Amino acid sequence: MSIISAKMLTKVYAGKIRAVDNLDLEIEPGQIFGFLGPNGAGKTTTLRMLATLLPIDSGEATVAGVDVRRQPAKVRRHIGYVGQFGGADGLATGREDLMLQGRLNGMGSSDVKKRSEELINVLDLKDFADRKTSTYSGGQRRRLEVALGIMHRPEILFLDEPTTGLDPQNRANLWVQIRKLRDTGTTIFLTTHYLEEADALSDRVAIMDHGKIAAQGTSRELKQQIAGDSVLFSFKNDGKTLAKAMKLFKQQPYVREVTQEGEQVRLYVKDSASALPDLLRLLDKENIPVKTMALSEPTLDDVFLRKTGRSLRDTAANSKGNGAS
Amino acid sequence: MKVLRDFTLLFKREFIHALRMPTWLIVGISTPLLYLALYTPLLQKLAGGPGFPTKNVLDVFLPGMLAYLAFTSGSSEGYGTIFTLKDGQIERLRVTPANRVALLLSPILSDIVWMYIFIAILVAVAIPFGFHAHVTGLLISLILLALLVIVTGAFSVTIALLTKEISTFASIVMGISLPVLLLSGVLLPLSMAPTWMRVIAHFNPLFYVVDANRVLAAGTIWNSTVGLAFVVTAGLVIVTLMWATRVYKKAVA
Repeated sequence: MSIISAKMLTKVYAGKIRAVDNLDLEIEPGQIFGFLGPNGAGKTTTLRMLATLLPIDSGEATVAGVDVRRQPAKVRRHIGYVGQFGGADGLATGREDLMLQGRLNGMGSSDVKKRSEELINVLDLKDFADRKTSTYSGGQRRRLEVALGIMHRPEILFLDEPTTGLDPQNRANLWVQIRKLRDTGTTIFLTTHYLEEADALSDRVAIMDHGKIAAQGTSRELKQQIAGDSVLFSFKNDGKTLAKAMKLFKQQPYVREVTQEGEQVRLYVKDSASALPDLLRLLDKENIPVKTMALSEPTLDDVFLRKTGRSLRDTAANSKGNGAS
Repeated sequence: MKVLRDFTLLFKREFIHALRMPTWLIVGISTPLLYLALYTPLLQKLAGGPGFPTKNVLDVFLPGMLAYLAFTSGSSEGYGTIFTLKDGQIERLRVTPANRVALLLSPILSDIVWMYIFIAILVAVAIPFGFHAHVTGLLISLILLALLVIVTGAFSVTIALLTKEISTFASIVMGISLPVLLLSGVLLPLSMAPTWMRVIAHFNPLFYVVDANRVLAAGTIWNSTVGLAFVVTAGLVIVTLMWATRVYKKAVA
């Protein structure tokens, strides 16, 4: 039984921009489900519809077996949500904010005390729990916000870009906490535009682009689908050889992308099994000596490129500051 | 009662917020006090003349000032809305099962209570200077003023949710406030105004509240002026709340 399920889920902005376009989704309980995609892909819009924050334009969704369109209030009893701007109250202390969150979720006052103490310990908030949250550092604030999201022990936790803006140490720390949460049975639905995060943290990944899911599976499955399609050549670096090789590669119809990395050239090809012999033959014919050649381990970015025709890194860089996803 | 619990929890939070922003409190109370100290002396020569029937101009000026206080404490509510919208607090609370009306109204309720505290201070300060306080009239005017805070508060919050941005919001609210205040008789009774101004004032809801407040402060508990003010304000409470609820449901996108 899926704990989150969506059928033909659609959100249209301004009458024409299909932010989420007939999306189908099934998420099993007890896993970390990562939504990977560039800004504007529709990840946040999907998450916000499932978390009852945005009206669904068409299609269906159930969360914890409850229909999101018909019974949003009932859905809210099962979910926790940590948005991009977390929502800690700058004028309250961390502890006060946790207690309020618990009470608003219907917990009794003694349970609220016990649970906030527990979370203060688990998420290491002790040193600053009784200070106003406006004094917190980015990492401290993020930890409190995650604590707010799980205060009432929800079955499902929605995390929207949980580690954006965190330094590597704080990010790694938060990953550990998120995994721990999964291990206690919580289903976690997170969005991210970090490849490493989707790869390292998620049990299953869905790659999203232009409102649609381009591919989904475990990160390993996704990479295996395109294994061998990323090829790394190196040449003698005399300026001429490299340029000649690049030119030759670009002329071949089955070569999707050519990038130069020092004296190495990385190629993404359509079907390496038949492309490689052909490339070697051509290089030989043009008298271009190859120093080394290797099939490289694909990354999720390669998967993204293969499925969408664009690189996630380029897309992310180009749409910086465009947070309207 | 879940609704009651949500109201209590959220009200407490908002009320404490104000305590933790002492600058806000100081400015909130010092503005009307400054009007009393530095504006009423200018009116002194008008005492007993048109618009100021009693010997003490405070009897006319203070009730107007109280309406001013209610008007501004409600209309500044949107600033807080924009901050809590930006830092994700509104979103965070909306995902909880907390009662929707309680989420929307708790900041306004806290404003009403703070306004009552300010009014108590103002009246206490004004009495030694000769203000005649009619207790029953004053109590009825507190109800009317609370309704006014709901109207201006709900309006301000809605504009904030629609603009989502502080400078646009501030220009709109200030742009509306000035003519509304000038055409309400807050500073000088409009009985002194030319006919055309008095005609326009009748389209201004605040005008009715100021008028009724002066009648109530003079000790008349119920007449057509008071009745009209309640009808106009209560009608606006319904309209602005309906609008606010609609926008609130959609706005946090």
